[in-house]
Amino acid sequence: MARHWTPTRRTVDGVGVNTGQIISGAGHFGLIGWALLGNIFASEPIPFEVTEVTAVTAEEYATIMAAERPPETVSDVIVPDVPDVPDDVPSLTSQVDTAADTSQPNATEAGQPDDVPELSEITPPSNTIVGDEAPVLQPPEEDFAALLPQTSLRPKQRPVKRIAPEQVAPPEPDTTIDEVVQQETVPDESSDKPAEETIETAPEEAATEIVTEAEQAAPAKSIRPKLRPSNASLPQSTAKDEETGSSDVEAALAAALGSSTDEPAQPSTPSGPPLTSSEKDALRISVQKCWNVGSLSSEALLTTVVVSVEMSESSTPVTSSIRLVSSTGGSSGAAKQAFAAARRAIIRCGARGFDLPREKYDHWREIEMTFNPEKMRIK
Amino acid sequence: MHRFLTLLAIALVWLPLAPAVAQNGPLRIEITEGVIEPLPFAVPNFVADTSAAGEVARNISQVIASDLSGTGLFRQIPANAFISGITSFSSPVQFADWKAVNAQALITGAVSVDSSGKLVVRFRVWDVFAGQELGNGLQFVGTQAGWRRIAHKVADQVYSRITGEGGYFDSRVVFVSESGPKDKRAKRLAIMDYDGANVTYLTDSSAIVLAPRFSPTGDRILYTSYATGFPKIYVLDVASVKRRVLESQDGTMSFAPRFGPDGKTVVYSLTRGGNTDIYRMDVSTGSSARLTSAPSIETAPSFSPDGRQVVFESDRSGTKQLYVMSVNGGEARRISAGEGQYGTPVWSPRGDLIAFTKQSKRRFHIGVMRLDGSEERLLTASFLDEGPTWSPNGRVIMFTRETQGAQGQANLYSVDITGRNLRKVLTSTGASDPSWSPLQ
Repeated sequence: MARHWTPTRRTVDGVGVNTGQIISGAGHFGLIGWALLGNIFASEPIPFEVTEVTAVTAEEYATIMAAERPPETVSDVIVPDVPDVPDDVPSLTSQVDTAADTSQPNATEAGQPDDVPELSEITPPSNTIVGDEAPVLQPPEEDFAALLPQTSLRPKQRPVKRIAPEQVAPPEPDTTIDEVVQQETVPDESSDKPAEETIETAPEEAATEIVTEAEQAAPAKSIRPKLRPSNASLPQSTAKDEETGSSDVEAALAAALGSSTDEPAQPSTPSGPPLTSSEKDALRISVQKCWNVGSLSSEALLTTVVVSVEMSESSTPVTSSIRLVSSTGGSSGAAKQAFAAARRAIIRCGARGFDLPREKYDHWREIEMTFNPEKMRIK
Repeated sequence: MHRFLTLLAIALVWLPLAPAVAQNGPLRIEITEGVIEPLPFAVPNFVADTSAAGEVARNISQVIASDLSGTGLFRQIPANAFISGITSFSSPVQFADWKAVNAQALITGAVSVDSSGKLVVRFRVWDVFAGQELGNGLQFVGTQAGWRRIAHKVADQVYSRITGEGGYFDSRVVFVSESGPKDKRAKRLAIMDYDGANVTYLTDSSAIVLAPRFSPTGDRILYTSYATGFPKIYVLDVASVKRRVLESQDGTMSFAPRFGPDGKTVVYSLTRGGNTDIYRMDVSTGSSARLTSAPSIETAPSFSPDGRQVVFESDRSGTKQLYVMSVNGGEARRISAGEGQYGTPVWSPRGDLIAFTKQSKRRFHIGVMRLDGSEERLLTASFLDEGPTWSPNGRVIMFTRETQGAQGQANLYSVDITGRNLRKVLTSTGASDPSWSPLQ
């Protein structure tokens, strides 16, 4: 039997209204009012619209429609003009209809069923039985001895120095650790050009000594091995992508071996909240105070330069890191002058440190400043 | 509806943060506004390597400082503010000491006299905040009497290395020296360094002279003289001070000459039968060609740097305006469009601007405009400013300013093309009609 769905909205119009529907309607109005006038930013609970429906039969629907239909109160009725009937009325003919052909079509042979893949070709994944209990690991003897109170009176093995088979070169002189690589000044007898005395600096070495596995502290507890994926039929690439651990290992290996992958290394994305607009504005204002274009040539005033600078954690620019990234609008000579003015601005106003939030250092560790003199040109 | 409002609210909250969240790589900011201030520099006295060079070493340092400060682009830091001095030309520079006094450029040098009596001047320019040298050290050798010119050359090098454009200190200016009361003023041709030093007179005051103009090589000067009672054009050799008449047609007056960029061609005005037109002459052969034929007054022609066009003034429209035509003559196009009258146009050595004199509302101005007349800028305003001439690098304009009244006197002034740094050029007498030489 056909069934019609009648929305509840019709009952609100005055037909079939009962107490439950009145309460429901009032509740909806209240909810919508609260949503519009109240705190719409409240996260919980998230209100949602509900539309109730009632299932009625065709007969019930016809009855409801008949009862709802108001009497027609049409006052003005446009009466169409009576068409003129021509004298020569065409003759009418009639013909008895023939019965419709209700014969059934001939049955045809059913098509061949689709080939069913042989199940034998599909190799079912081997079920790996994994026990709930962690495997019992046998700690090495050294670790065991280190974890227990040393009660044995056995003499400890004396450490043996590593001796290289060949004589090695003397070690490099002590170098001041700094993030800026700087060569020590060496007097040049052949040149009259004086050089500022500088102390050799270099980045901190990766390790100062070889720490063997035996010298490392034992882990507090063993890491439980991961479960093998149950669906072994997954494509290899998908499994590889999801296996973040293995990709990390590959990345580490690639970095250690110095090999290059197909895709360029992506720069590390700073974490934490970025600089706000006001913080950026403060930096921009600090630099532009020292950006003096008064001594630039007309051509240099047509040149826009992009300058990169690395910042120390004390928010001072690393002078040696300031470099010209790109320039537009002028010759190389003009770009050189424009870059010199930009560099002076960064160094001068950054000498005492820019006003930058230290907790967001990852975001301003490196800064690219575009110096656009368009507004500073001679008008 | 509520869902829509909620989504809209969330979008409005996060929209301003979207670019920041999307930061990838270095922090990027754009700086579009800076300051226009003179660049602070320090010139400690050059080190005298020999006892005979002591005084000249100090003088050279002072001239260099004066040249740079006079541009308005640099500001000298006084010596009493120095924390450390330069005692040896080869000793390392203590940049921290110069940073402390905010010296952004440092010029160090040494002066000595060699065995042949020649003056040897060495110098270096340092970018103090970058902690490195600007360019390489340079050495000039000259006569001891020429120490001033060596100092100008050092200043030109410093200016060029800091600004990126050529200097103009080692140049000269020819002008009309004026003396005596206004109604009986004696006028002589004179030549001097750009800063007013080393004045040399080229003519006596027996005849009125006007509008001297340097040749492109600076070895000759064109000028107008009333020696015969009528204005005639003369050409004078600077080295020998010998002169000859360039244009001497009977019944004519010739004036307002100017060399072409090749030094072989001259354009000038010639009045015949009450009509003044512009002519072009080949200096070596004396043959001339008429470039304009209007019944109006056409005068003050000036070549473009490439020698293909001539800018001049004409009253063919009823008032004096500026026009540009081909070097072979033909139809001219008007480029001045503002109120008032325009005259004495001069093409910039860079070729991008035309300087002019403008008279408007009882005031005279020196101004510049683009070649099509656009971007007109008036740099000065006074009772009488006229006769602009360009510095060799096209950055500075020198002109005549005459004060009002019976005791009024003409003097030379210079102004930057930005309109800043208006300065009076020190001369021992009154001066007018300057013409700047090329860089020597």
